[in-house]
Amino acid sequence: MIRASDCSIESESQLDAPATGDFTFRDPAGQLRLMETQALRLIRPPAVQETIDFLDSRLRSELERSGDLITTEIAEAGSNYFIQPGEFWLRHPLVEPISYPWEWTVVHWRAAAELTLRVADRAIDAGWILKDATPLNIVFDGPRPVLVDVLSFERRDPQSKVWLAYGQFVRTFLLPLLAKKLLSWPLQASLFARDGYEPRAIYQALRPWQRLHPDLLDIVTLATLFENRGSKTPAPHAAPTHSDPELITHILHKRIARLRKQLHNAAAAEPPSRWSAYPQSATHYQASDTDEKMQFVQQVLAQFRPSRVLDIGANTGAYSLAAARSNARVVSLDSDAAALEVLLQAAKHQNAPVTALVANIARPTPAAGWQNQEQMSLLQRLTGKFDLVLMLAVIHHLILREQLPLTHISELCASLTQRWLLLEWVPVSDPMYQEWLRGREALYGQLCEDDLLRAFGSHFSVAERTVLGNQRILLLLERTSPATADIPTSQAC
Amino acid sequence: MKKLLHVVPFLLVCVGFVLLFELPAYAYADPGTGLLAIQTLGSALVATGWYLRRRIRAIFSRTESSEEKLDHNPGGDARSDTHIP
Repeated sequence: MIRASDCSIESESQLDAPATGDFTFRDPAGQLRLMETQALRLIRPPAVQETIDFLDSRLRSELERSGDLITTEIAEAGSNYFIQPGEFWLRHPLVEPISYPWEWTVVHWRAAAELTLRVADRAIDAGWILKDATPLNIVFDGPRPVLVDVLSFERRDPQSKVWLAYGQFVRTFLLPLLAKKLLSWPLQASLFARDGYEPRAIYQALRPWQRLHPDLLDIVTLATLFENRGSKTPAPHAAPTHSDPELITHILHKRIARLRKQLHNAAAAEPPSRWSAYPQSATHYQASDTDEKMQFVQQVLAQFRPSRVLDIGANTGAYSLAAARSNARVVSLDSDAAALEVLLQAAKHQNAPVTALVANIARPTPAAGWQNQEQMSLLQRLTGKFDLVLMLAVIHHLILREQLPLTHISELCASLTQRWLLLEWVPVSDPMYQEWLRGREALYGQLCEDDLLRAFGSHFSVAERTVLGNQRILLLLERTSPATADIPTSQAC
Repeated sequence: MKKLLHVVPFLLVCVGFVLLFELPAYAYADPGTGLLAIQTLGSALVATGWYLRRRIRAIFSRTESSEEKLDHNPGGDARSDTHIP
């Protein structure tokens, strides 16, 4: 039995400074604060007893054991400087980096939604229910989704056949996936839709015959029609009736089952892209070049044993997975969702600690939410967090497509890595460089390795160098400049 | 089948009642208006299926003699289900 008074959690260092300036503020039951090494959650007095009951429950221990729910401990008064006597605080391990739904592939979305439904199903049987159901309550620990909001659980009214979070699940999970599948609305647009899409928005964008699709008829078409009818009255729900509890449970499980079926149909995999098939289709790489490149990367991984690796432009993740096999925790970025889905499936299959994010390092995800402080920017989450940054076959994209000066790229790399940068230089003669040169020879046609080394010289020195058979050059650079001051970090979910 | 025909109008009345009697929702997450109504409608349909499932099972599992007995006792052994919304 958990008691707020009898917990014996080790005292945290007083120096465990907050990584965020503000608390979260939407849930009236509590507030979350992200620290450098942990997440702390204040529970407001009206919600304390129910929270303790949940922490005491078998449901909680089962969900934690299965890895579906973040682990929770009670933080004692004085364990951090702002925890006052009489306050009830919880603490959770920090999952890094936090990723947001606008950086997920369809595979992420589906896994997060399935987790939410799985937890909701188990909660119903245990006499609990999820009071909210949004992707913002899920983070990915490697390829595995984890529910991080313990305040999502509340006692279930055994007479109520309504799941109040149903609407939020539909708006924030199902409708974005359906909009992507049927209307090609990008999932990244969820950045601007905190509470998802209203059924009406999808209804208006659909063609008339699409509105009759069996998966859309209830959650889009009928929901819109009912909304029109009840738009001038407060949101209603069915009056509690004295029904058979078994029937109520049956209704709730059926609702979850229906959502699961709709999710299955909505979550269409990305069609193959140019980049998702790139390792097989690239003609400027002979098998020997690929082998040589992999050997060099593996040699660096074996020699320096980095614990945190960032793979920029990871593509289908051959080098991310190699880093994961050397026991590093890996963050893989790519702007091509189809390529990342290949990586994500492999990471799941191999149980590799790879967090894959759909992101373009040249246009990194901005901070979001109220006053841009609810969700952190990508760079706030990545800066200074890595021992090794991989930038393989990326730099010509940044030069020619993003038109970034080499000095800017050097500064970014120096802010990301604590020590090592493994960079692949693509010479002007390379077919891919030529493809994107597109008549700009005067600007970019003369760039050479010396220009790169001059630009990177203010932050890095060359530790190792090798030339591949296709004339691309692999450079292992060691940072010589002092650590860049961390960008102030901000608030998460 | 005769039993079934008697039951269906009763169920339709139940569904009508479910849709008529509504109370304000008290939720943390926005339950929506249309999506909440969808839940109510869905609940009624599932309850109908639940009720009919028991009825149909009861009908098919009975012997001829017990069916005759049921004719004289219209509530049958599923009377406890008649308060379904």
